[in-house]
Amino acid sequence: MAFDEVTTRPTGNQQGRSTGATVAVQMTDVSRRYLVGSSEVAALEGVNLEIDEGQFVVVLGPSGSGKTTLVNLIGALDVATDGEVVVTGRRITGASRAELSRFRRDTVSFIFQSFNLFPGLTARENVQFGRDVTRRRGEGGDVAEILASVGLGERLDHFPHELSGGEQQRVAIARALATGNRIMLADEPTGELDFHTGVQILGLLQEQADAGHTVLVVTHNREISRVADRVIELSSGRIVRDGPPIEGKVPVDELSW
Amino acid sequence: MRLSFWLRWSGRDLRKRWPQVVAIALVIAVGTGVFAGLGSTTQWRRESNDASYAALGMHDIKLSVSEGSTAAAGRLRRLVDQADGLDGRVDVRAMEERLIAPTQVDASIDDEAILAPGRLVGVPVSEGGPRVDGIEVREGRALGPSDDGQPVGLLEVHFADGRKLAPTGALKIAGGASLDYVGTALSPEYFYVIDPRGGLLGAMDFAVVFAPLATVQRLTGWAGRVNDLVIGLRPGVDRERLVAAIEDAAAEGAPDLGITVSVTEDDRSWQVLHDDIAGDQQFWNVFAGLILAGAAFAAFNLAGRMVEAQRREIGVGMALGATPATIARRPLLVGLEIAVLGAVLGVVVGLLVDLAIGSVFEDLLPLPVWKTPFQVGVFVRGAALGVALPMVATAWPVWRAVRIPPVEAIRTGHLAVRGSRLEALARRLPVPGGSLSRLPLRNILRAPRRTLLTALGIASAITTLVATFGLVDSFVGTLTVADRTTLAGTPNRVMVELDRFHAVDSPEVRAIRDLSVVGHAETGVKLGGTLAPLSSKGGGAERSQAAGDRRSEVNVLLEVRDLDHGEWVPPVSKGRLPRSSDEILLAAEAGRDLGVGPGDTVLLRHPVATTAGSTRIEETIMRVAGLHPSPFRFEAFLARPDVLGLTGSANAIQVRPAPGRTVADVQRAIFGLPGVASVQPASAMADALETAIDQSVGIFRVIQYFMLFLAVLIAFNSTSIAADERSRDHATMLAFGLPVRSLLRLAVVEGLMVGLLGTAIGLIVGRLVVEWFAVTLVANTLPEVGITAQLATGTMTSAVALGVAAVAIAPLFTLRRLLRVDVPSTLRVME
Repeated sequence: MAFDEVTTRPTGNQQGRSTGATVAVQMTDVSRRYLVGSSEVAALEGVNLEIDEGQFVVVLGPSGSGKTTLVNLIGALDVATDGEVVVTGRRITGASRAELSRFRRDTVSFIFQSFNLFPGLTARENVQFGRDVTRRRGEGGDVAEILASVGLGERLDHFPHELSGGEQQRVAIARALATGNRIMLADEPTGELDFHTGVQILGLLQEQADAGHTVLVVTHNREISRVADRVIELSSGRIVRDGPPIEGKVPVDELSW
Repeated sequence: MRLSFWLRWSGRDLRKRWPQVVAIALVIAVGTGVFAGLGSTTQWRRESNDASYAALGMHDIKLSVSEGSTAAAGRLRRLVDQADGLDGRVDVRAMEERLIAPTQVDASIDDEAILAPGRLVGVPVSEGGPRVDGIEVREGRALGPSDDGQPVGLLEVHFADGRKLAPTGALKIAGGASLDYVGTALSPEYFYVIDPRGGLLGAMDFAVVFAPLATVQRLTGWAGRVNDLVIGLRPGVDRERLVAAIEDAAAEGAPDLGITVSVTEDDRSWQVLHDDIAGDQQFWNVFAGLILAGAAFAAFNLAGRMVEAQRREIGVGMALGATPATIARRPLLVGLEIAVLGAVLGVVVGLLVDLAIGSVFEDLLPLPVWKTPFQVGVFVRGAALGVALPMVATAWPVWRAVRIPPVEAIRTGHLAVRGSRLEALARRLPVPGGSLSRLPLRNILRAPRRTLLTALGIASAITTLVATFGLVDSFVGTLTVADRTTLAGTPNRVMVELDRFHAVDSPEVRAIRDLSVVGHAETGVKLGGTLAPLSSKGGGAERSQAAGDRRSEVNVLLEVRDLDHGEWVPPVSKGRLPRSSDEILLAAEAGRDLGVGPGDTVLLRHPVATTAGSTRIEETIMRVAGLHPSPFRFEAFLARPDVLGLTGSANAIQVRPAPGRTVADVQRAIFGLPGVASVQPASAMADALETAIDQSVGIFRVIQYFMLFLAVLIAFNSTSIAADERSRDHATMLAFGLPVRSLLRLAVVEGLMVGLLGTAIGLIVGRLVVEWFAVTLVANTLPEVGITAQLATGTMTSAVALGVAAVAIAPLFTLRRLLRVDVPSTLRVME
């Protein structure tokens, strides 16, 4: 079975933001419920949203609010119990395991809280992995250039355990970039990092958004939401706020926590 | 905290990893089960041997007159009676004279020609005899007084069973006489049949016929004559004193008979059955040791991983102030539970091994009494090993874990990632292809300890396989050498042995020469002798101290033949062929055992024919002219018969079939002629060795099946651990859209690399074990044959195929787990 191609229109109907850009992500009445023992727990309930291409979106919420579930559904790591998820015009809902796998390979790239680098591969090779998986050789520049762009031009042949946490997360970002996919999903990317390193990582993600990538950052740190184009706030599996930062978008170097 | 709490907790740990737990328990079970099962056979065989020899009254002392000689009935008995200090009524339980004669047996059925060299054993059948070296009838009926003088006998069971003969039937013996065998039977001297010409290799190719004494005397033309006397002593009698007295009496009263006095332990069959137990035990010990080593490596592997997975919990425990002893309780209990499971399963495996190997032994060594009781001691030792192995395997990583600082143990995320020193190597090692191609090798180098444990586990299984196959290869290789040396140039030679010495121009010899089926006939002499080393080289006459020890002597079959113009001459590997009367050509194996080479001298103890027609034993110093490459140690060649006093005589004839005639034609034509003892192809010895190999293969098959199972278990266990350890890597790859088949391919490639490493180690160690088997073990239990250690290409290919296949297939067992991996949850796991 192939993905259903869905025509996406310029945005304008979701809670007051309209850019006229193409919709990257569209979720309609999406719910995700899990069975825990004999009882059912709703991680997400009736979520509707649209995210434009090139937006820097921060998904904010306390633990258990459903923010990681939201990102997993967009990234096709998980499937919705109800509703429809369409990403870059492809309907994920009802897709087979192989199609989901292909979708992830061709559409999204992940950045994890604990980096999840392959400990047996050097920084260069970890980034090369992103390139090899998508088979987009030659696109988006040389692997060494990508690493240099995240400030790791001198650490190419180091193994993960020879790098600091910040450096490891930079490699993870470089790996995501190397896939050439336009949607970057970052789940608590600064969760394991100190403030200064965290800010540097956010700066890098901001640069990717500026370069046209759609970036979704999941965090429980409200301060981080200040650098976003758009903040989606979740509570108990529902969107309780969706819009630009309350005090307006600020540059990364103005953050403090 | 109560024990039940710890048991519950550790039980949950076990359930969580049940496939690995079951696999490791099975590995331990195979190791300890094979150890216990094979170990039991030692006790079985000891008990069965003792009971069997006792049941049939094995002789304590035996008097044999020299080959070709006989004595009037009653003469040997009188000699013993005259022995100084012997009181027949007090010391002797029974004493019986016998007549034993070489013959050729024709047991052909319909179209199938069954011609074999053999022996007629004439025994007293009155008064319930024979009472020494008794006969147990397996099928048919026993011989009784009414059979004395009648053409009836009993066929030895090894030959009858080996040739699939009916329990009763008709035979023809050399000279054309007919004899009905009324049953099949066993007797102590033939519990393990030894062909006097071919050493240990006679089980199926040497036909022994037990018949009444008068019958054998009539059939051989030796009416009223005997050549053997066996004595059964009463318990507590000083046997050595009696042996000395009988030897003195024989030397004084019958120097013309060349009498040899021997005791139970001199009997070659007795020696083989007893030495074989010790040899086999060493053999089993090596196998059990290898299997246990495999089990130990696998246990260390799993225990290490389980403790590693609990690292953080151990750290938390330490942070909460728990003592190392308390922290160690849970993983140690897991180890104990696996140990108990392994030991219990080990008993089951042991019983299965006993069942399989017991029936193989009963077929291979038919004894009148086979005792196969459950060996409690051996099984307890096996179970103790089964418990100790995983306990030690668990204790080591636990001890290491509780010594780690708590802060390090509870560390999570990227800080918990560790590298290995081999990564420096990995960085420089060029691997073609992309990042995915590099991953398998990197993973191997990143976890060198686990890689090594897995490789060694596989290696132990491969070693065992290579050792079993390699032993067969070595025998087959030896067989090939034997064929090459004995059949070179004249593959159709037929060896005829005469019943005694005849003049080379006698009617008996002429009758053979004149047969139309005979193309060429060449007379010779074959006679048994013994070689002993001398203490000095270059003609020194001092017999070395070692020569006093019977076991340091080498029994040889002296063959006198025309080495200048003969149709076939033995090939020479070192030195040259003998030219003069005092020169001898030895097998390289005999030279090695005696410590002599060309130019050295040896002491030859041999019979000499006297002018009176009898023989006497003499010792002659012989110079070793050269060595021949035949693996049969007993083959020795002389150029002239004068040293044996047999100039102009022959008891052996080599025959080449006439053009268009076959070996079988010659055998049939010669068989019925007078004076013929046996007719067999020159390849008979090699054929007998082939038979012996075929018999041994049954035992090896049992071991091989268990090894195959063990290799797959170890491989599965290792792959399962690897999949467990790499679950986060796998989840990340899946998150990036890598298909499951690619993950599986990575696991297979990684498995192949470890498999190749393990196989390479297994081949090397296996080759060394085969070398040890050939040089030490087989050399002790089968000294007549010089086995050269070798591994056939097929063996190596099979070992590689098995080693690689086992580990390459194992990842397929993890497919289900890969298909069901919960990517989001696995990615969120903190370590």
